[in-house]
Amino acid sequence: MATRFQRQLNELHVNLITLGSLCEKAITLSAKAIQSQEEELAKQVFETDRDIEKKERELETLCMHLLLHQQPVAGDLREISAALRMLSDMERIGDQAADIADLSLFIDKSKVQIPDIIGRMVDATVEMVTKSIDAFVKSDLDLCRKVINDDDRVDEAFNEVKEMLADMIYSQNMDAKAGLDLLMTAKYIERIGDHAVNIAEWVEYSITGIHRNNEHQK
Amino acid sequence: MTKKIFKSTMLVSGIVFVLGLAFLLAVLYRYFDRQLVNELERQSSYLAQGVELLGEEYLQEFHEKDARITYISGNGKVLYDSAADAETMDDHSNREEVKEALETGSGTSVRMSGTLSEKTVYYARKLNNGNILRVSSTQYSVLTLVLQLVQPCLWILLLMMVLSGIFAFRVSKRIVEPINALDLEHPEENRVYEEVEPLLSKIHRQNRQIQEQLDSARQQQEEFSVITENMQEGLLVIDRYTRILSGNSSTWNIFKTKEVQNGQSVYSLNRGENFRQAVEKVLEGKHESSLLKIDGGFVQMIANPVVRGSNPVGAVLLFMNVTEKVEWENLRREFSANVSHELKTPLTSISGFAELIQGGFVREEDVKEFAGRIYNEAQHLIQLVEDTIKISQLDEGGISYEREMVELRAMSRNIFTTLKDTAGKKNVSLYIDGEPIFCNTVKTVMEEILYNLCDNAVKYNREGGSVSIALRQTETDISIKVTDNGIGIPKEDQNRVFERFYRVDKSHSKEIGGTGLGLSIVKHGVAFLGGSMELVSEEGKGTEVTVVFPKERG
Repeated sequence: MATRFQRQLNELHVNLITLGSLCEKAITLSAKAIQSQEEELAKQVFETDRDIEKKERELETLCMHLLLHQQPVAGDLREISAALRMLSDMERIGDQAADIADLSLFIDKSKVQIPDIIGRMVDATVEMVTKSIDAFVKSDLDLCRKVINDDDRVDEAFNEVKEMLADMIYSQNMDAKAGLDLLMTAKYIERIGDHAVNIAEWVEYSITGIHRNNEHQK
Repeated sequence: MTKKIFKSTMLVSGIVFVLGLAFLLAVLYRYFDRQLVNELERQSSYLAQGVELLGEEYLQEFHEKDARITYISGNGKVLYDSAADAETMDDHSNREEVKEALETGSGTSVRMSGTLSEKTVYYARKLNNGNILRVSSTQYSVLTLVLQLVQPCLWILLLMMVLSGIFAFRVSKRIVEPINALDLEHPEENRVYEEVEPLLSKIHRQNRQIQEQLDSARQQQEEFSVITENMQEGLLVIDRYTRILSGNSSTWNIFKTKEVQNGQSVYSLNRGENFRQAVEKVLEGKHESSLLKIDGGFVQMIANPVVRGSNPVGAVLLFMNVTEKVEWENLRREFSANVSHELKTPLTSISGFAELIQGGFVREEDVKEFAGRIYNEAQHLIQLVEDTIKISQLDEGGISYEREMVELRAMSRNIFTTLKDTAGKKNVSLYIDGEPIFCNTVKTVMEEILYNLCDNAVKYNREGGSVSIALRQTETDISIKVTDNGIGIPKEDQNRVFERFYRVDKSHSKEIGGTGLGLSIVKHGVAFLGGSMELVSEEGKGTEVTVVFPKERG
């Protein structure tokens, strides 16, 4: 027999998966938005972002409720506190996807050639987010580590984009305004990668009880 | 149990103790009573003799500790009393024992004291002089006796309690210990006191019943899992909170995951929006059917709610891998589009030319040319329909051609003769390599295969190219290799050129001619003759098709 507490934990778990899938949707859509002319896509991203925020508040309340009323200990407490941290990361991913979609409206794709590397960066980031949520769903430590290692790739790609855009603007191959917008976009994508890493770290914490950043203190 | 045994032992011993005590008291008391009366009687007879001999003075000298002696005259006046002053005593004539003695010569009576703690027994005797001599003695009443017994009784009670306690503890231990030590799995093998036997046989019966029920339940479970495990379709049962209750291995295969633990959320299989919405709907109690895209494949999901009362308590989800079906559907659509296009093109030309002639827009001398075009297009159309019929015949396997000995080298030469004109236009050279090979086969089909292969090799060649047929035979096989150095087939199209009406370069098909059915006929022909074929091609360099037939059959 499932107790009320277990049922609520299960509810939290299921809703976190839903929230994760909303995040995936948001960034996949925003990735499309940068590469296409359709303004409809950006609107869909904003809508998804609103859904994410709503869900995030709902789940935050649920977490607080669980913490205060059930006073969980050990693994349960870890799971809930990790969930709370993951919630804020997911919410940030939604926000940044919305920011990217917002920027995409200002970039005139008919005039500006979007560098391939941004497309690759987006793909890698989407994959990271998907993997981090998969890791949560399947409680898979290997996937967590993969996500954490993948971040370097995205970081390197960001640096490459930065230098490329600087060169292009310098040689006047690109409109400086559009170049800056693209740089911002790349930065947001890079930040989303960081949030995916955070999620993976919290998943790792909820499984092992050890958080990467605290490892040295032990 | 100990308590109960203790209580009943206490009760039994208590009752026995009280009853015994009461009985004993009653018997003893009556005995002593009679004894007392007898004694008083005896005493009074001694005294009576004394008084009759010596008179009243005898009494004054006589001292009796236990008894009180009263001497009363016949009219009731007290003459002497050993315990009180006779002068002050009132008239005794109406005392019960005195009255009785006056009437019958002797009398007894018993009187209780004011507090009921003592009773006095009186015995009166009428003397010969008419006076009455009364002797009385006092003894404790029953109540007093009982009150005096209270303390020892309490001691006994305490002893009783202690003994009953020890007894109850030991008895209950003796009863319970063997019961606790029972081996309930094999109740019949236990050696316990006989009162437990019925219990044991009952347990034995129930054990057997439980075992039977368990077995049948297990069997049902096994049957169910065998059925579901052998299903191609994925079957998944979930509860109201989206937790997986059971699923078969096809489900994990379809979702390309490891087996998911029961109790996990179904969203761990897939969290796509379509899937989530379908699950949400079915848990609201609605039947759902949707097409999911999983890893590039297509999965048809049918979800049925499980409803108890009016509340959905879970759902049964069925998954079917329909990737192939969807792909076939696409292929079929493309085919019908192709076939209609191929059939329509010549018809449009025919209809157009005919319309021009009908409307008199064509000069007399041009009519011939136009008729020629109409003829050509009609021929093309006939060719197309014939080819289609050929393929469907090969497809159905409905034709039964007689097998005969055919010489392949001669056949190749004939085909080259037919193609010479077309090849000549493009300056394509034709070569045959190999010894004459006899082969037992269906001539028309073999001809069709060779012709179409060579036709393609010539058609899709370039200016000054070459086509060669190489005939080889081993002990078991005959192989025919048609090689050209023409335009080749791009990698992505190599798998599809055998499809009906598939054209690599759709825009130029008109100039080259052909029906788009050639390689399709080859493929079906080779299959009909039980052979196999291989296509190697590189775009811009040429194509090489090898057909191999087994000798005993081909």
